[in-house]
Amino acid sequence: MSARAVSLSHAGWRTFLGKRTMLVAGASILLFFILMAVFAPLIAPYDPILQDGSARLQAPSLPHPFGTDNFGRDILSRIIWGARIDLQIAFIGVVFPFVIGTIVGTVAGFFGGIVDAVFMRIVDIILAFPFLVLMLSIITILGPGLSSFYIAMALVGWVSYARLIRAQILVLKNNDYAVAAVSLGFGRMRIMFRHLLPNAIAGSIVFSMSDAVLVLLSGAAVSYLGLGVQPPVAEWGVMVAEGQSFITTAWWITLFPGLSIVCLAFGFSILGDALGELLGVHE
Amino acid sequence: MNRKWKSIGFAAFAAALSLSASFAEAAGVLTIGRREDSTTFDPIKSAQNVDNWVFSNVFDVLIRVDKTGTKLEPGLAESWTISGDGLTYTFKIRDAKFSDGSPITAEDAAFSLLRIRDNKGSLWSDSYKIVETAEATDPKTLTVKLKTPSAPFLSTLALPNVSVLSKKAVEAGEDAFAELPTASSGAFIVKEWRRGDRVILEKNPNFWQADRVKLDGVEWISVPDDNTRMLNVQAGQLDTAIFVPFSRVEELKKDANLTVLTDTSTREDHLLINHEHGALAKKEVRQALDMALDKKAIVDTVTFGIGTVANSYIPKGSLYHYDANYQYPYDPAKAKAMLADAGASNLSLNYVVNAGNEVDEQIAVLLQQQLAKAGVIVNLQKVDPSQSWNMLIDGSYDISVMYWTNDILDPDQKTTFVLGHDTNMNYMTRYKNDKVKDLVAAARLELDPKKREALYVEIQKLAKDDVHWIDLYYSPYINVARKNVENFYQNPLGRFFLEDTVKN
Repeated sequence: MSARAVSLSHAGWRTFLGKRTMLVAGASILLFFILMAVFAPLIAPYDPILQDGSARLQAPSLPHPFGTDNFGRDILSRIIWGARIDLQIAFIGVVFPFVIGTIVGTVAGFFGGIVDAVFMRIVDIILAFPFLVLMLSIITILGPGLSSFYIAMALVGWVSYARLIRAQILVLKNNDYAVAAVSLGFGRMRIMFRHLLPNAIAGSIVFSMSDAVLVLLSGAAVSYLGLGVQPPVAEWGVMVAEGQSFITTAWWITLFPGLSIVCLAFGFSILGDALGELLGVHE
Repeated sequence: MNRKWKSIGFAAFAAALSLSASFAEAAGVLTIGRREDSTTFDPIKSAQNVDNWVFSNVFDVLIRVDKTGTKLEPGLAESWTISGDGLTYTFKIRDAKFSDGSPITAEDAAFSLLRIRDNKGSLWSDSYKIVETAEATDPKTLTVKLKTPSAPFLSTLALPNVSVLSKKAVEAGEDAFAELPTASSGAFIVKEWRRGDRVILEKNPNFWQADRVKLDGVEWISVPDDNTRMLNVQAGQLDTAIFVPFSRVEELKKDANLTVLTDTSTREDHLLINHEHGALAKKEVRQALDMALDKKAIVDTVTFGIGTVANSYIPKGSLYHYDANYQYPYDPAKAKAMLADAGASNLSLNYVVNAGNEVDEQIAVLLQQQLAKAGVIVNLQKVDPSQSWNMLIDGSYDISVMYWTNDILDPDQKTTFVLGHDTNMNYMTRYKNDKVKDLVAAARLELDPKKREALYVEIQKLAKDDVHWIDLYYSPYINVARKNVENFYQNPLGRFFLEDTVKN
């Protein structure tokens, strides 16, 4: 998970499916999970944290399609409610790094010189640490919990966006229209954010989709280690961790939340690929 | 003994996986899989079960605890006498040799006893401060003088940490001895210690009971991941494994090649309460919390019915356990009413949980829901085990689950630590009751077993009434062995009787 710059997409998918099909498929998967999260109270058959001592470790059956865990909680209901937390993780975990990274990258690329040097050295320092190690250290200092995870994500995750945007701005600022804007006497803010940024941002938007996958997996990993979501809240990574000790006797506790993570990640991944094609971003 | 932290890092896990293919199989060599590796071979420098359980088969003690864990029996001391005032103990040392062939003398015994009291690196010096002098009055006679009479003194001599060491071997180099002891007084000698991996023991031909030992050797192999360790025994790569998780017992019992062993232990899990925090200072509030907990549900869910509900801090089967002790009934409605009467109807508690500890996390999730039924809001705070210990010491917690296993058969050690107003604030609970404190001191000095028992019964009743902590459950040691292994047994204090173990 340290190689965050590596995209999850594969050229193979593009030839296999048309880009429009991919866009629809990715968006549908995402929409499916969003609807599941929004309507969780209506569609979940049970209370996700209600323990039932008489129904512990039940294999998948009609009343419990995905089985129950060691506290007798319904796995399906927990997955449905867990979608809320996991989508929130993917969203907030991407938005803050995206915004911070975009601003820093634009400023660094536009001004160059000492400003650029300072920001890019900070980027180098952050990149010098393995991603997960740095995340875990920050969370340990702040104390376990989701808010710590978001703060750590914002502090560490922006570097990828900053580098992407900066590279784009460096090219764009020498374009004719940018030079023209300068000679017309427009303010720097206007040039940076109204003329250059809209042309530079497509790559970041595409990257944010594959980044969402990595954030989702980091969130699950951090929760798995006990530093993210706190019990008894249902979250897929936590559910996988809780089921670990029963993996040889009650496989359903780990399998279904694990599959959910894979499905959502897959949705983000092909959506990102399709967007890249549509926006004309080439990797 | 303090809680043994298990921290299973990913690195250790990966290492274990890569190791699993390379277990050597030799006739007469017993392989035992465990979570962690040893930390030292200098007995005075460890207070951990992982070490003590190996010490007791490498070094012998003056007085041993028998297989039932309730009686003392002669070890290297053949016999002993106690003077009328209870201050002078005279031990007769038996004819025995260290593994290097030199005789075990009273001088070695005196050296070992004084070393655990005086050595700067000793973790146990407080327990032996009561020793005034220890000297070899002749090569086979050890005379010990105490500062005050002490009922538990003999039982403290059975602790593996005060094992008889060779004075010559230790003085030749303490640090080297801690790495690889050159002389053993026990059934096995340490042949090799591959740190982080395994301890390789070989039969000691000079052991005074050498004809009792059937095994050629023993290998203690660390396999941190529970699932991997169990699979290794099922696949025959390990002969035995210890620390079997509760959740795996049913499944392992079905395997025809394996025997699941549940040996009585002194382990008790309990809920610590910080008596200094607000409403928790009131006895009625603590009693209400006790009533709000359904211990039977914990036993069923967490231990899969293997444990038993606890009713006293002195575990069932241990010396002076009071079986008729009061047990608060499970009654969330009454608990809620009692909390309201005590003016604590909006109680909100901060519960420190050890992250990564499967059993701890399960108890936390259960207790949170149970307490919610009595109107108590519980905020779980998962922290790394290295941190949580300090949080308990600093008092930055309201409730937290811990466990304790006895090191000696006498209840004095645990009682002093938990109720005797020791330096650790009564095991971090900040419990204060001067009457109990005086009883604990009196029980230590009382030499008549009948009167002593009466004192301990009184202490157990008072502690229960005060709810110094909430007793949750007792649980056994759970080990698994392949069918060809016989007499693989652990007594309640944790000692493995490997001198009797047979591998066919």
